[in-house]
Amino acid sequence: MAQHNLSTVVTFEFFRTIGKKRFWAGTLAVPFIMAVVFGLLFASNTATDTAANAQKSAEFTISYTDASGLISPGQAAVFGATTAASADEGVAAVQSGSIDAFFDFPADPASDTVKVYGADQGMFENNKYSAVAQAMLTQAVNTRIGSAELSALASTDATIDMKTYRDGVESGGFNSAVPPLFFLVIFYGLIILLGGQMLSSTLEEKENRVTEMILTTLKPTTLISGKVLALFAIGLLQMVIFASPVVIGYLFFREQINIPDLDLKALVFEPAPMITGFLILVGGFALFTNTLVAIGAIMPTVKEAGNYMAVMIALIFIPFYAVSLIFSNPQSLIVQVFTYFPFSAPVTALLRNGLGSLSVVETAIVLAILYIGAVLMFFLAVRLFQYGSISYASKVNIKTALSSGRRIPAATGTTPR
Amino acid sequence: MSEALVHIDQFRMDFGDKTVIRDLSFDVERGETFGFLGSNGSGKTTTIRALLGIYQPTAGTLHIDGKPFRPEDGGRLGYLPEERGLYKKEKVIDVMTYFGRLKGLDRHAAKTWSLEYLERVALADKAGVQLDKLSGGQQQKVQLGVTIMNDPELLILDEPTKGFDPVNRRLLMDIIDGQKTKGATVMMVTHQMEEVERLCDRVILLKNGTAEAYGTIDDIQNQYGGRIVRLKHSGPVPSSPRYTVTVNETNYSELSIADDADEADILRELVAAGVSVRSFTTTKISLEEIFIRVYGDQNRADAAALQMAEA
Repeated sequence: MAQHNLSTVVTFEFFRTIGKKRFWAGTLAVPFIMAVVFGLLFASNTATDTAANAQKSAEFTISYTDASGLISPGQAAVFGATTAASADEGVAAVQSGSIDAFFDFPADPASDTVKVYGADQGMFENNKYSAVAQAMLTQAVNTRIGSAELSALASTDATIDMKTYRDGVESGGFNSAVPPLFFLVIFYGLIILLGGQMLSSTLEEKENRVTEMILTTLKPTTLISGKVLALFAIGLLQMVIFASPVVIGYLFFREQINIPDLDLKALVFEPAPMITGFLILVGGFALFTNTLVAIGAIMPTVKEAGNYMAVMIALIFIPFYAVSLIFSNPQSLIVQVFTYFPFSAPVTALLRNGLGSLSVVETAIVLAILYIGAVLMFFLAVRLFQYGSISYASKVNIKTALSSGRRIPAATGTTPR
Repeated sequence: MSEALVHIDQFRMDFGDKTVIRDLSFDVERGETFGFLGSNGSGKTTTIRALLGIYQPTAGTLHIDGKPFRPEDGGRLGYLPEERGLYKKEKVIDVMTYFGRLKGLDRHAAKTWSLEYLERVALADKAGVQLDKLSGGQQQKVQLGVTIMNDPELLILDEPTKGFDPVNRRLLMDIIDGQKTKGATVMMVTHQMEEVERLCDRVILLKNGTAEAYGTIDDIQNQYGGRIVRLKHSGPVPSSPRYTVTVNETNYSELSIADDADEADILRELVAAGVSVRSFTTTKISLEEIFIRVYGDQNRADAAALQMAEA
């Protein structure tokens, strides 16, 4: 019977949530906005390409002076540039419109500024002057070096292949850090999207005066378990919907919308950090949702509960005050406090897990804190729901609820009916 | 004789340091309709909540079918609480189906039953409507439907007619009668004394957390005067061992008749004493009169206390 009721609650809570227009309005708004952004990106990239092509093929008249002596007249002629008698004359020619651009190369271009003067053709179009001036100088330097390999080496960073080892085994580096950090993104998504819903879901029984009907029909543990499971399923559905435009864009429109070239094959899915990340995610989600249920059980209205919700949301952002230390010095006091304080632990531990700075012992302690905390909070939530949800119009005194050995309405002054 | 369906023995309930129910004992027999009466704040709802495990009693035994109630047994219980409410943002049929499933019906059976019930209470066209779009009375009907789903063995109704107009009150009573015919035991809290007289086999009157009276309606009427005479007259009514004057107004009196007295003897005695009798009617004391008699003093005391507090 309990199993039947649990599945009934999960089904009811899940379908009544996804059956609402406002759920789909909120959920589909995210991929819709992303689709609009991708569309704008596509349109912008097309316009940029068109403008760049037009700039590339455009011809304009140039004169120059070269105090460094690096640029020969023959090399300048390749760019259609002619020598000016002086800088003043070149600038005057640009101002009068007789030429389009004048470049004044200093004696030491490595330390001094190359001055570029041009007829104004708009912010984007004007970039062509400095691009051509740079090209003239680069070509002149390459000619002096006399070696294409040396020129390439001088102008670009070397390609470096780095390998690191952990416990004698090659570690994945950056590519292995990314996958476990997905759990952090999922955690944020679940709490931010579902936290308010979890809070109002339990308050709903109280605000609608359904509590007595519910408490005489099924156990509060069944009701709350069902709500948590349903919300987890709803969260997964939302994550899939949110991720869909990214996946579709990456698979089918990568070129058009110019997504950075993510090579998914290079990502390394190491079992230990992935399992740890998953366990922290589940433990953290359970702790937060059970806490929100407990808050919902003692508050008379959603409005009053909203203040506490803001505190819970703030707690998951607090670790970012120490994010530089999480990266550089994970053993610092503040990072240790954030790692073991139950409500900052999920974010801090997920970050450190991704970065590879969470040891096995620390992982075990964090998991123990999260799971024990979640279980304790679950029973507290159930107790407060049993006790608090019958207090329709007033906030429950937690001390009274907890100090009572049994479920009784022990509040002094309560009027019997 | 089979065991009582509801058995409450030496029940005590403390709220903090205040005792609101003390040593309350009564039984509700299988198949009967039991009236649970008392003024506001006398502890009726508290007793029901303790019986259903919502409150934990301070002391005493509260059993349904020989054991404390558990939510897992909710399929056999139909409970209409005083604080009414359902999931207001959901469709009527969805809420009814949900509770039907929690009471042990499968989805199809729950939905079929719900549609039939809605047809019966003239809400068939509201099945797909959100609950908060219904009037208060219509919502009450839906809640009653949820209460009687799956033909519960025990119906506990806390002020079932609250919020109903006379037509729908009659409909509700017919539905409760129907459940009783199917074998349900009904325990009912109400302030509608004529309904109690019409429906209830036995009643308990709760006052200040204790049982003021308990038994069949006849028992209680006898306890509070049994037969009475309503007398329109002129001239003073003399005292007599055959009766007690309970109401004494100008030209109108009520006499509570002693058990062994005869109405004809009283009439002759009044006439012989010079009372000019214009109307002489014998009847049984109504529950409403008993209620006023029992709780009138309390209400007057409450009103006096309130006046003092306000002063």
